This record gives sequence, C-alpha cells and structure tokens, in this order.
Amino acid sequence: MKEGKSVKLNHQQPHQNGHLSPSKFAKLFDPEASWDKDQLGDVLHWIRQVLGLACGFLWGSIPLVGGIWFILFLALSTGIIYSYYAVILKVDEEEFGGHGALLQEGLFASITLFLLSWILVYSLAHF
Amino acid sequence: MAYPFSDFKYSDGLTVVGISFCTAIVCEAISWVLIYRTNSYKNLRSSIDKASKKLETMKTDSNKINIKKSKTKKIDRVETSLKESSRDLSLFKFKSGGVVALVLFVVFGLLNSLFEGKVVAKLPFKPFGLIMKMSHRGLQGNDPTDCSMAFLYFLCSISIRTNLQKFLGFAPPRGAGAGAGLFPMPDPKTS
Repeated sequence: MKEGKSVKLNHQQPHQNGHLSPSKFAKLFDPEASWDKDQLGDVLHWIRQVLGLACGFLWGSIPLVGGIWFILFLALSTGIIYSYYAVILKVDEEEFGGHGALLQEGLFASITLFLLSWILVYSLAHF
Repeated sequence: MAYPFSDFKYSDGLTVVGISFCTAIVCEAISWVLIYRTNSYKNLRSSIDKASKKLETMKTDSNKINIKKSKTKKIDRVETSLKESSRDLSLFKFKSGGVVALVLFVVFGLLNSLFEGKVVAKLPFKPFGLIMKMSHRGLQGNDPTDCSMAFLYFLCSISIRTNLQKFLGFAPPRGAGAGAGLFPMPDPKTS
C-alpha cells in the first residue's frame, strides 16, 4: 500500500523512479521550486559525492601532495554546497534543520570517497 | 598475476577496492533478504515517514497559530509513535547486523592474509596519530606515506557501502534520526 500525500506545489514524487527528465533537472536550479527534506538531502548528498570523486581524481592526477589539499577540498566542497542551497536554490535552511544539517549531508561518505580516489589515482598514475 | 592492471606498481589497491565493492553488494543483498523485503519493515518505515512528516507539519502550524493544549497533546502522541517505530526499526536492523558484520570480518581476514605486510598504495599526504596507525598497520619500514590494506579497506567500507545504500534506497529514513534530534522530549511539556 502507498501512503497518500497532501497536495503540494511540487507534484513530483520524492523518490523518483527511472531517469531524471529535463524538467526535473531544471528544478535543480529553480529558486521557486519547493523541496521536501528527503529530496533536498538526497541532492546535497550526491553533489557531495560527485565533488569528492572529482576532486580526488584531480588532486591525484596533477598531483597535489600534502595534507593542506585535504583541507582545501573540505573548504571547497562545503563552499559549493552552501552556495548551491543558499544562493541558487534560496531555501530557508531553518525549514530543513538548519545550516548544520544541510552541510553535514553526505559529508563523511564524501570525505572517504575523496581520500579513496585521491590515493588510488595518485598511486596508480605516479609510481 | 597476469591481468590488465598488473603493470602498475600499486595495482593491489584496485584489487582491494574491487573486493570491497563486491562485499558491499553481498552485504546489501543479505540486508534485503533479511530486512528490506519483509512486510513488517515496510510497514515500520511507512509509519516512520508518516509520523515524521506529520510532526513537521504540526510544528510548522503551531508556530503560526497560538499553541493550544490539544495541539500539544497531538504532537506528544505523534512523537511517541515516532520514537516507538524508530526503536522497532533499530531492533529490526540489529538482526542482520550480525550477519553483515560477519561477512565484513571474513573479507577483512581474507584481504589481510593476501596483503599483510604489503604496501597497496602510496598516500599523497603524511598521516598522523590514529590514521597513521591504521594506514601503516602491519607494514615494515619508516615511510609514513606507505598505505596498508587496512586503511584502504576502511575508506572503501564507508564510502562504497554508504553510497550503495543511498543509491538502492536502503538508507535509513531521515525521520528516524530527525525524530531523535530535532524534537527533544522536554520541549512540548514546558510549552
């Protein structure tokens, strides 16, 4: 059985099946769109993971060596996440548990994914 | 071994990642069989989702309108229901936790026997403290940038399993966590 949901501005189901349609991608950059907690959390989570993977590959390929680059990755990914939900989407963070909750979404998994890709690309490409 | 990446000095790192990925899939398959496909889990999850969303709605409404006693009682009731469902869910998951932990432990033992004392990767930074103990576990030599299997396996376990669960929709519902943190018990009684 599926639970009935109250009428929302957003008629899309929170957990979409299949591929994202263009209109759903447009929502990712629409400050007028309404978000529920799970949806926004999922989007922030996956953005974090993509950033972790991309930065890991980039740092490992160049290569950037030293602990300072780990801190830089943290600052960069946090800045991007913040800019996304506060500047692009313009959501009221208090409705979603505050800045802390939004910035922590997917953070630990992102850090481990970044370290994993950084270490592997560095090891395989430069030795 | 003669396989495509054998030319790389640290191809063992890829082996560790590959095995960890397969292990993550096995663990999620076990979890699905023991938990996620069962009706009782689906019912529990559904009631948690409903309760947490209802709670958010009531909280929002109570901010706009003056607080009434009947409202407070309703909020209390939904909170209690949410806590009970969350607790039941935790107990439910604990059942498969043992099996998954056993699989992870066995795989760690396997990897340990294959790669003990072997440098499987090179770290692009100098670890310190607990991280160094993990990353240098079982290795000879003084180079702190040598990476042991244990550290790589730890990183894989966190990143791959977490994202796999998210991708498959097995991640714990946010309401279960939010119910504990965002709505502490004393608040409704003091208001």
